[in-house]
Amino acid sequence: MTGAAPPLPTQEIVVEEIFPHAPETIWKTLTTGELVGRWLGMKPSGFEAVKGTRFTFQTTPAHAWDGIIHCEVLEVRRNERLSYSWQGGHESNAQQYGSLLNTIVTWTLTQVEDGTRLRLVHSGFVTPRNDSAFRTMSGGWKKVIGRVGAMSGEHQ
Amino acid sequence: MMQTTAVDAVMRTLADPTRRAVFERIVKSKEITVAALTRGSGVTQGAISQHLKSLKQAGLIADRPEGRHVHYRADPKGLAPLVDWMALYAVFWRGRFANLRALLKEIDP
Repeated sequence: MTGAAPPLPTQEIVVEEIFPHAPETIWKTLTTGELVGRWLGMKPSGFEAVKGTRFTFQTTPAHAWDGIIHCEVLEVRRNERLSYSWQGGHESNAQQYGSLLNTIVTWTLTQVEDGTRLRLVHSGFVTPRNDSAFRTMSGGWKKVIGRVGAMSGEHQ
Repeated sequence: MMQTTAVDAVMRTLADPTRRAVFERIVKSKEITVAALTRGSGVTQGAISQHLKSLKQAGLIADRPEGRHVHYRADPKGLAPLVDWMALYAVFWRGRFANLRALLKEIDP
């Protein structure tokens, strides 16, 4: 008996688009450090599309977080699939920029008639229950405002 | 990638309970004037005006002058810095796809 707590609910971000280019060309932009730096806006340090490779990205620090995103290549299927872990943030930054992140980024390339379908899945976001109203900008005003009060240390 | 300064500014602005109450009233109204906000607020019109100025500076509200009156409304974009980490990443990746498209076009016309 491990007595482990049930896993926290997680959510994922999915972005999918068709590009009028061959999978090989897209693969190159996803796996060449120099090119990744150009489209991602931050250049990976120590990146190689080889399983087990550890690499980092440096982004804007936030409070206790140094702004370093730690990654490890988890899966490489040339021209088809690339997956790496994406970890960073700090527990003191709750539910905002720089909050603790233990996620996985997976790229899937599928050849289609007019090019390549590129699918990004960024998975493993731990989100508090009943938080969807906050995420959609539509109904979340009151909740956001209430949370600001809580975050600024005010007690009502 | 994303700025923390905007988050701090919004946090500071909304940390004041009176200002937050003013903001909530604006959010609930489609548009509202200073006079209407002052009525029943228990504070002076001058104080309300100061809060409106701060809210505007933080990007939380927008105004529309009409004759002698100024109408205020909430600007949903102003709260964007407070939307959680995950939503920020969704925006981030969509932007990266656009960059990727431009780069691919450049290297493989």
